[in-house]
Amino acid sequence: MVNRPRDWVYVFGILLALGLLPLAQPSEYVLSFLYFLFSYAAMAVAWNVLGGFGGYLSFGHVTFFGTGAYVTGLMLVHWGWSPLITAPLGGLAAALLALVIGYPTLRLRGPYFTVVTVVTVLIAKIVVLNVPLTGAAMGLWMPFPPWDPFTSRVIFYEAVLVLLLAALLMARWVQHAKFGFGLRVIREDEDAAAAIGVPAFRLKLGALLLSAFVCGMVGAVHGYDRSYLHPDFMFDLHPSIMMVLMALFGGRDHWLGPLVGAVAVMITDELLTVYVGTEAARMLFGLLLIIVVLFLPEGVISLRLPKKPPRAAAAGEGVSSP
Amino acid sequence: MLVEVVQAVVTGLLIGLTFAVLAVGFSLIWGTTGVVNIAHSAFAVLAAFLSLVASRQWGLDPIAALVGLVPLFFILGVVLHEVLIKVAARRTKELGLASMIFTFGLASFMENGMAYVWGPGPRVLNTAYTGAAVHLLGISIPLTHAYGALLGLATIGLLYGFLYHTFPGKAVRAVWQQRDGAALCGIPLHRVTALTYGVSIASASVAGVAMALIYSFTPATYMVWLVNVFLIVIVGGVGSLLGAAAAGLIVGLVSSLSVLVMPFVWTNLALFGLLILVLLVRPSGLLKR
Amino acid sequence: MSKSTRREFLTKAGIGAGVLFLPGISLTVRASSAPIKIGGSLPLTGAYADTGLWVERGYRYWAEQVNASDGLLGRPVELIIYDDASQVDRGISLLERAITVDRVDLLLGGYPGTTAAAQMAVAERYRKVYVSMGGHMASFQRGFRYSFGAPPLMGEWWYEGAFQWLESMDPAERPKRAAAITANNAVGMAVRGGLADGLARSNIELVMDELYDLPLASAEPLVQRAKALDADMFIANGFFGDGVQTIRAMRALDYNPKLILQGIGSLIPEWVQELGEDGNYVVSGTALHDKLPFKGVEELNQVARERWGLRNAPEYFLFGYAWMQALQQGVEGAGSLNQDAIAQYLRTEGIDGIAGRMVFDERGLPPAFSYTTQVINGQVELIWPLHVRTHEPVYPKPPWGR
Repeated sequence: MVNRPRDWVYVFGILLALGLLPLAQPSEYVLSFLYFLFSYAAMAVAWNVLGGFGGYLSFGHVTFFGTGAYVTGLMLVHWGWSPLITAPLGGLAAALLALVIGYPTLRLRGPYFTVVTVVTVLIAKIVVLNVPLTGAAMGLWMPFPPWDPFTSRVIFYEAVLVLLLAALLMARWVQHAKFGFGLRVIREDEDAAAAIGVPAFRLKLGALLLSAFVCGMVGAVHGYDRSYLHPDFMFDLHPSIMMVLMALFGGRDHWLGPLVGAVAVMITDELLTVYVGTEAARMLFGLLLIIVVLFLPEGVISLRLPKKPPRAAAAGEGVSSP
Repeated sequence: MLVEVVQAVVTGLLIGLTFAVLAVGFSLIWGTTGVVNIAHSAFAVLAAFLSLVASRQWGLDPIAALVGLVPLFFILGVVLHEVLIKVAARRTKELGLASMIFTFGLASFMENGMAYVWGPGPRVLNTAYTGAAVHLLGISIPLTHAYGALLGLATIGLLYGFLYHTFPGKAVRAVWQQRDGAALCGIPLHRVTALTYGVSIASASVAGVAMALIYSFTPATYMVWLVNVFLIVIVGGVGSLLGAAAAGLIVGLVSSLSVLVMPFVWTNLALFGLLILVLLVRPSGLLKR
Repeated sequence: MSKSTRREFLTKAGIGAGVLFLPGISLTVRASSAPIKIGGSLPLTGAYADTGLWVERGYRYWAEQVNASDGLLGRPVELIIYDDASQVDRGISLLERAITVDRVDLLLGGYPGTTAAAQMAVAERYRKVYVSMGGHMASFQRGFRYSFGAPPLMGEWWYEGAFQWLESMDPAERPKRAAAITANNAVGMAVRGGLADGLARSNIELVMDELYDLPLASAEPLVQRAKALDADMFIANGFFGDGVQTIRAMRALDYNPKLILQGIGSLIPEWVQELGEDGNYVVSGTALHDKLPFKGVEELNQVARERWGLRNAPEYFLFGYAWMQALQQGVEGAGSLNQDAIAQYLRTEGIDGIAGRMVFDERGLPPAFSYTTQVINGQVELIWPLHVRTHEPVYPKPPWGR
């Protein structure tokens, strides 16, 4: 696929510059908004590795997000370990869960797999709601981060920015590696992929684990920022839906698509909910989802990138330049 | 204990029929056109709200309101096909997945639209027979359940008759079994699919009223109903009418009997577990030959 | 996309971002007559909107009253109420937005308990007084210094009055076997938390103790079980929708316990509207009521009659008003907007409002109290404690349809 180096220089340059933003003493709200934007973007970018490149549509990634938050939250409550340090463990726990879920279910295809991912969220929610270890229906209270509000905002802002950068680098790597090529072949025709020797199952599982790992890390950081976890919002389908919307809206063929989608969706969401009302915003997102799928299947980023050659040719091109 | 078990079986069967009728239309569309219509249960919830309005504004019995609702939802189904599905079928490659996303968008649009109009809180349908029951040998049969089940039975029966004993119905089945072959035989594919959507969404309106007789509902309830629909369709086999009916009964029985052997709160877990198990063991459906 | 349209896109995005952050840079120096800004979020849409809207009306009516008279500390008040769409996460962000962007002087309490609990943590971090219903006992045991339940909605205290009433009965008349079903969320669990002790005091055996996740699809299986176990007391620790479902299932299955305790839901007018006669005789608790003999309650009933054509003031309208009243008395008592001084005043001097007089302890709670209600002839009457009783309790509950 054509990918001019300038693009990623711009993107990473902007993100690194954003890392210096706190020096300008912005309001907590600006930091808080960007914090949400970056966390969603990081998850959407990671989701896209399986959902976009691989074509395995998952509405279940919030499970990994919630798992990361609860595992690190419990480590903080019981052992006093800061989630900012144990975040990778949260990611690992999420990846482990992804292995348990993915190993049997990644053999399913199309809508069947998607149904399973929805059901895993519902199951996870019931389990967390009814297991005493997690605080069940009362929720899990954690000690506050030990900083004043502004410092705290800055620290969490930087933390998710780092996660976003890592997710982007990961997605970019996957896209250009044999891995990503294999995933796209799977998306186009899984049986053919197997026939030409693509280890389909291993690639799908790998993509699921990677994306789960990132979501688990984001969950760990986010849970600590909230200091209060409850299955009602840690295992809610809505964030999953947002990830899917962001990736599809931005464009799922490119590692940068979900980031573009996240920026667009988050700004629209914030403006609409603050100035118009939540129901109107959600109705609009519903329509947007329809329009994107029907009229902009490659996402808004396809307006920006040069026209792609037909799919089959794209796959062929990938062989020569992995 | 025996009375308790019999009571649970009876309630389970009645509820199961109601769920079955919600699932058949969904199954029909998935089977004939490969579209996974997430908004199916949202249409049912819409019908529930409309029957509530009919009952509150004009004192109309919800079952009588079906005289207006069924044709209306038939038209909605045809419109859905003409406006969205046709475009989607032309423009997207993986229709199953694409349809899941955009019908999800439609469902979300409908949910929030309903919340805007009727409010997000739970609503319950009140009828002359709500809370009344027939008592037989220590077993109680709530009339709402009985009527819901009868509606379900009648609708499934009519659908069966339509699909197996009328020409347009046979055409629908032909399209679903052999799309290209059917076209070669001169069956107008487009009109047959439009008809399928009309029938499917019309059956969703019946299901919505039947469900509303028994359950409380909110605009967001469609998600809960949808999970049951998936479960039934996957257990019964995609596209199978009688499979869906049988699976509906199984799901109804599991959910009403499980409370006898495990804490109630784990009931849904048992159903979800069943769903995943069936998917892994026999994704083509337990009951499909 | 060509270069020019790309620039256009960037400009548009820039404008969008600018609009978004505009409030952040609109800091101005205030004159002393500038309004006091009070902000926060309520669930104006989503699952809890029905109640949230009544809390909002309580807030707005209070502000109207204050602005029509001398104002607060001589200044008018301005409410900034965001819609959190019944989502805890949004409630947190919007409260932060009110604090850091709108630079509000005082905070508004959120609803329901889960949101309030999470917002209490935010208020604590920013050291702002936060008056709300709280998130039941757990949230008040966190050592927060700026959160107050004035009055709180404490599930753990909910049935206290009902149990005292049962204890006052002849032991032979009391129910013997109780069946409890509980909505598996913070409210349901908090209400259930007070059960074991209360039942033990009245020698009632708990023969069934089931949880259910919301929304409750069907209450029949649970009611069947209670009937099969021969429980003569039924405790439904749930809400309006599931509560209505439960009562209907009890009627349909012809299950007639002597006493029905209902968690939340039987106090709102919809209970009787939906259930008619069947809604009668259900017993519940409350922390506030339109028939309580406190100053100001009748005036609010009057308002409810005039503005919304209701017979009396809805409970959550009273709650909204009561929280603002508490905040007002705290501010006036402290004589400033100094948050520590307000908190100090509430702890030492307390308030006297439509929920009666209360002084707050270290946790931000008044001494434990609860009123017991029973729906009688379609009216929510107070049956306990005796000094507020408006109607004799009806016990045992007559069988359905008779």
